[in-house]
Amino acid sequence: MARRGGLGGFWNEERKLSLQVFLSNKPAVVGLVIVLIYIADALIVQFAPWLLGLKNPYALTPNYINPIPQPPSWKYPLGTTYPGVNLLTAIIKAIRVDLGLSVAVVLPGAGLGIVIGIIATYIGGWVDDLLMRITDIFFSVPYLVLAIAVGYVLGRDITSMIIALIIVWWPLYARYTRSVTLQVRELTFIEAARAAGASNAKIMFRHILPNALPPVLVQMSMDLGTVMLVISALAFIGFLPVSNFPELGYLTTLGLNYINTAPWTILFPGIVIVIFAVSVYLLGMGLMDVINPRRRSSL
Amino acid sequence: MIIAGRHLKEYFPVKGVRGAYVRAVDDVSIDVHEGEIVGLVGESGSGKSTLGRLLVRLLDPTAGDVLFNIPDSELREYDDALERNDKQMVKKISSKYSILRLKGSRLKMFRREVGIVFQDPYSSLDPRMSIADIIAEPMIETGLYKRAEALERAEELLEEVQLPRDFAYRYPHELSGGQRQRVAIARGIATNPKFVVLDEPTSALDVSVQAEILVLLRELREKHNMAMLFITHNISVVSYMADRIYVMYAGKLLEYGPKTQVIRSPRHPYTQALISAVPEVGREMRRVVLKGDVPNLVMPPAGCRFHPRCPVAVAECGWDSGEVSEAINRLIEARYAELSGKLSVKPKGPLALEVRGISAQQLKQIVDAESESTKALKAIYSIKDAGDHVEVSLAAPREPRLVPVGPGHAAACILLEGKEGK
Repeated sequence: MARRGGLGGFWNEERKLSLQVFLSNKPAVVGLVIVLIYIADALIVQFAPWLLGLKNPYALTPNYINPIPQPPSWKYPLGTTYPGVNLLTAIIKAIRVDLGLSVAVVLPGAGLGIVIGIIATYIGGWVDDLLMRITDIFFSVPYLVLAIAVGYVLGRDITSMIIALIIVWWPLYARYTRSVTLQVRELTFIEAARAAGASNAKIMFRHILPNALPPVLVQMSMDLGTVMLVISALAFIGFLPVSNFPELGYLTTLGLNYINTAPWTILFPGIVIVIFAVSVYLLGMGLMDVINPRRRSSL
Repeated sequence: MIIAGRHLKEYFPVKGVRGAYVRAVDDVSIDVHEGEIVGLVGESGSGKSTLGRLLVRLLDPTAGDVLFNIPDSELREYDDALERNDKQMVKKISSKYSILRLKGSRLKMFRREVGIVFQDPYSSLDPRMSIADIIAEPMIETGLYKRAEALERAEELLEEVQLPRDFAYRYPHELSGGQRQRVAIARGIATNPKFVVLDEPTSALDVSVQAEILVLLRELREKHNMAMLFITHNISVVSYMADRIYVMYAGKLLEYGPKTQVIRSPRHPYTQALISAVPEVGREMRRVVLKGDVPNLVMPPAGCRFHPRCPVAVAECGWDSGEVSEAINRLIEARYAELSGKLSVKPKGPLALEVRGISAQQLKQIVDAESESTKALKAIYSIKDAGDHVEVSLAAPREPRLVPVGPGHAAACILLEGKEGK
């Protein structure tokens, strides 16, 4: 059969349609392109910094000879910030750090949350109640405050910041996974699978999970932006231990004393943060379209 | 008998209320012979879908038993034993044929022998599986075929439900409602079951597609000689499809019998009302219009569950003091405005009322004049003066039993029971 050959390949009808739906959402495509640029930047700085001529890719290079912020010029396209840091290269370095940190928070946080959410629905009863009350406790405290508290207890370094954010972030996913799973579990095809003789584990992993995960993945993509904002906020209020660490939130603080005469010192790193948060959101909306059957069938 | 349900009850606990249950199915027995189509009719919420799920063990009953593939002689023995209350005999036969204690591979064997088609073809197919995988699932899971063979057979099944073979590698969202339902039917019959439950298979489809699906189902029955339980709320569909008909209302079985008998000479007032609602060419419609809704199944009406809506209800149908006092109050508001405000009715126990502000004589007159239009008043058995108030007592309700009214035809209405029970 001709069509069966197509089933094994990566580009089956289903995937082609998904791509088509995604491409029809123009803002999402823009979001995707920008996110890809950020990712490319991070990968180049990580693995091939010489391509961009970066000599010291993992730290800021201060220039104490001329520490006062300079306006954008040919030499410094985005200007410099205190103490004489070239903003363009600083931002290029910082994107790697911020992207890395938000992935380091979102992936384990979501993983932990998804596993706990599934356990809660699968076992149900008092286990479910207990896990959901724990997430309630986390939800009742503003996450920034909680992250600061956890970070304070664990110590002021990057690892403790990541751990603090994971601890703050997993309940969101546990709750979300649980609600999606419960929704899927009520659909008739689950009953049909039971009538077909499928075991509980098989129903969970073949029917419920594949239908429950896509919305969670969309949530993850959107959270990359949110987490980056939170990390920047934490860095802004001085959560970072090292003084020349290239981080976008920290970059905005460097020129704070010169804000009246050198607004670019805050503007450019800030814009980079905002653009990422917005593009990741647009990308998420596009992915949302892809998993929404109504959008699919309208094409 | 391919499947026999005996005294099935399914009570769903009400969340958050201790001791409260929704009595979705309450003491229903049903038989399906080999190769026969049984129609199960009833309104929404009458428990017909629940009964269908009980028969293929998608639900476990609160009480009762489901016997599968039992020889008629042994079923008769089982029924006799139930009648005699011979627990040992019941247990012995039940252990051989009951589906309720099946586990592991024996449960899978049973799943191979039965199938089910659901009402909504949009939610009954997993959107992330290809059509071939959907149809193959029962064959693989019950161990009938290995994956490759099952996929091969899925294509044959597509042909059998009159869909092109190359639909096998499409996904549900690419199909129309009628096509999806054909896929669902293909899945339902994939393992060549002896018994298939069709849970309103056509009610989500538009009329022209409905007819095609019905024709298809009849063809499949002819070809494979499979027994079917056809659940529907549509009397004309059932009269086209079924050999025998069961009528359910509020969790109870009201009437069953051969199709022609139930359609031509329905004996239960509810069935009569249902059938009177079907228009027919060349005949003036004499519709019996039922008022009100299906009762609350958490606290179902006493006696016959249909009595609050029954056009021919009598005294013993199951009226209680609450219903009668409400009827009196409404009557006073509507027709005897001069008494409104003065008269007060208070239920005293399930079968007695205390009425103030009116004399026994007056109340009797009202009751006599209105009992034809307000059926609840028929339950009033005596009205006595008792000093400052009037005591009203009600007739004791009787639970209707299924009484035979023809060969293989029975109905549960006390009007059919004759004098014996009084």
